[in-house]
Amino acid sequence: MRRISLLFILLLTFCTFVNVFAEQNPFKISVALDRDTIGIDEQATLQIVVTGDSQNLPAPHIPTFSMFQIESRGRSSNFSYNNGVVETSMTYHYTLIPTRPGTFPIDQISAIYNNKRYKGNKLNLTVLKDASTVSDAISKRAVNATGDKKDYFLEAIVDNKNPYVNEQITLTLKFYIAVQYYGSPELSEPTTTGFWTEIIGNKTPYNQRINNRQYKIIERKYALFPTQIGNLEIGRAMIRATVASKNNSRRGNNLFGSLFGRGEEVSIRSSIVKIKVKPLPKKGRPDNFTGTIGSFRISATANKTQIDANQPVSVTIKISGQGNIKSVAEPKMPELENQFRIYRASTSENLSKAGSKIGGSKIFEEVFIPKRPGDVEIPAIAYNYFDPQAKRYKLIATKPIKLKVTKPEGYIASEEVPYSAPDLKIGSNASGIRYIKEELGDTQPVGQLILLNPIYIVVNAVPLLLFAGMIAVRIRKEKFQGDIGLVRSKTALREAKRRLTKAKSIATTNTAADFYEEISTAVISFIADKINISPHGLTIEKIKILLIENNADDDLVLQIETLLKHSDFARYASSSMTQENINEDLEKAQSIMVAMAEVSFA
Amino acid sequence: MRKFILLFILLLSISATATASASDSLFTVGNKFYEQKDYPKAIESYNLILLENIESAPLYFNLGNAYFKNGDLGHAVLYYLKAKRLAPDDLAIRHNLEFAQRFSSVQMEGVELNPVTSFLASIVDNYNLTTLAWSSSLLFILFIIALIFRFGLGNNNSPVRIGVVVSLVFLMLVSGLTTFKYRYEYLTQRAVIIAEKPAVYTGASEQSDIELEGAPGLIVEIISGSSGFYNVLFENKRRGWIKKELVAEL
Repeated sequence: MRRISLLFILLLTFCTFVNVFAEQNPFKISVALDRDTIGIDEQATLQIVVTGDSQNLPAPHIPTFSMFQIESRGRSSNFSYNNGVVETSMTYHYTLIPTRPGTFPIDQISAIYNNKRYKGNKLNLTVLKDASTVSDAISKRAVNATGDKKDYFLEAIVDNKNPYVNEQITLTLKFYIAVQYYGSPELSEPTTTGFWTEIIGNKTPYNQRINNRQYKIIERKYALFPTQIGNLEIGRAMIRATVASKNNSRRGNNLFGSLFGRGEEVSIRSSIVKIKVKPLPKKGRPDNFTGTIGSFRISATANKTQIDANQPVSVTIKISGQGNIKSVAEPKMPELENQFRIYRASTSENLSKAGSKIGGSKIFEEVFIPKRPGDVEIPAIAYNYFDPQAKRYKLIATKPIKLKVTKPEGYIASEEVPYSAPDLKIGSNASGIRYIKEELGDTQPVGQLILLNPIYIVVNAVPLLLFAGMIAVRIRKEKFQGDIGLVRSKTALREAKRRLTKAKSIATTNTAADFYEEISTAVISFIADKINISPHGLTIEKIKILLIENNADDDLVLQIETLLKHSDFARYASSSMTQENINEDLEKAQSIMVAMAEVSFA
Repeated sequence: MRKFILLFILLLSISATATASASDSLFTVGNKFYEQKDYPKAIESYNLILLENIESAPLYFNLGNAYFKNGDLGHAVLYYLKAKRLAPDDLAIRHNLEFAQRFSSVQMEGVELNPVTSFLASIVDNYNLTTLAWSSSLLFILFIIALIFRFGLGNNNSPVRIGVVVSLVFLMLVSGLTTFKYRYEYLTQRAVIIAEKPAVYTGASEQSDIELEGAPGLIVEIISGSSGFYNVLFENKRRGWIKKELVAEL
């Protein structure tokens, strides 16, 4: 009982342990800032994303930061279903308004789930003493030719003007406006001929102080992937907005002006941005490079690892990371024609935006059908890409997948049997066979079968014969044990001979009486044993009758009668017996015994 | 008389030694030819040993290798099979047989025998008939000893009774496997296709339709024979008639 309890406790502990591991990361908290440096008069946007596979994700807990005022800007949710896995994410936006300069850590952002605290990543935000972090270029752009401060202007900025082909560059359109505007400004997107374009999205508007004037900034980002080499242009973007007329704007917060003043429609254009796209380096370019650029990782999983031969196993190969996911080509499958039939099942893409970078994952589903039973392996699947940050080609690979292929139950003949095998050439150049043996080894006559080998037959026959013999002996023994008459009959001659031998040893004149006693007993006992009667009371007459009844020869009956009578006489007149008589009678007795052995007593 | 017998034994042993040393020499010569990549001569040397009516697993193995290197897949598979029959636990033989079979232009994929046959074959696969037969004999002797104790000597105590039952069970098991091995590998007549693209007909004549086209190295079971043709069963259970000279019997 104690053992069972112990086992139960152990099992319980194990299950708890497994559960702890299984639930180690039920969700993830990622914290991001739009900028890591701001001026004292500026604001930063804090974004907290809680991602998990649960429908009820916990809200993040934000501690009190003495150096910031925090204002919530709302939240949004996202729900995705990918490869049978449901993923939910909640995004929370906050505006951070600094109260003093310095570098401040933003940590301790956490969420509580099942009485456990899960922390987000740590960030630092630097607040400068200056009013703003605006560059000189922007400060200059904010002033027109006459030296007046502009009410609005549109800036197009790219993070990299000399990218590799297919490398992502980020275009940021910033609409600076210092006056009141009505309605929503209308944007004409810039032309991006020669690029594959993906809109990253708009940022929550924020304020910035430029040349001692407060501007509201509306920001929109694009991910651009140049598809060709050479000089490309990002065309002008244009914003149409209705802004307060100068007179109205000068009144500042004049309620009536704001409500009833007629706005002025303006068009604001950004400048053209020139991009010089460079080709990928030829040095170190792998032969099977398919043009994928970015930063990726690859993984492969099989839906099962134990299957029957000729049954499909689905292998999901996932390439994920940052870069143009749409341009990710299918990885080249290893040469496995001897072991598998391989079919493409499906391809799917999942785009994601991490900050200002486009990424995601591309999933290739391949069906592998093992041809033969046994332990087989889908080897590592390699993939090459160019990493523009490292400026070199990189090779990534999946881990090999081991499959245990079992024989299906019963006989299953494939419909494709026989099929043509790969064209392997046999001959002197074919390698792979094990080398010849150096010794001839134990030889035997050609076609000799052990089953017909005489030694083998004898070895098997001897115990059998031995057993048969033992059984025969046993049967005989048992038969004897149950039939005293038979025993007496069978041993009669032996007993008689023993007596005659004894008689012979005393065949002298001194022991003539004893000699004749032995001879007489030998004959009478022999007959009594053969017929299984008591020797006592057997008279000569009775013996004579018995011998005749058993078809003894008349001559023999007479000889026996004569011998017995002579013996009786000699026992009482032993002194008259000479050595010659004794020897003669011994011989007679022996010959009688031989003759009697041939009589078949019933 | 005794002297005569002694002389006879002496002569017999001298002749046996002479045969053994001649075979060893031929084997060494065959290996030399093989090393010099003169495969036809290596085959010739090895075959001379077979003419002396003696066989061994290494001899068949080397013959298989020489045929393989000489581009004769059918004979290579045939001799690897013969070698495997004598030494089924030899990994080199197994490897070369499987390796050579991959070169056949026709593959029998997904073929599964009767599950019981397959199971039994997998048990006896690592043992040759001699080993199984001697194991059966040993168990038979043990069984007989147990019987002698039990019935011959009339001993009726528990250890003896258990001994009888246990030895009988093992004896039946091993002798059953031995019988299976004998039937599977010796009574079932098998052959290997040695010709390039041999036609397999639906009947025992060239006028019959062609059922399929075989390939060297394919193993077939001979079901019957008739007027220069064998009725053969392929591993994938397809049947047909093939000319006798296009296959080599195992």
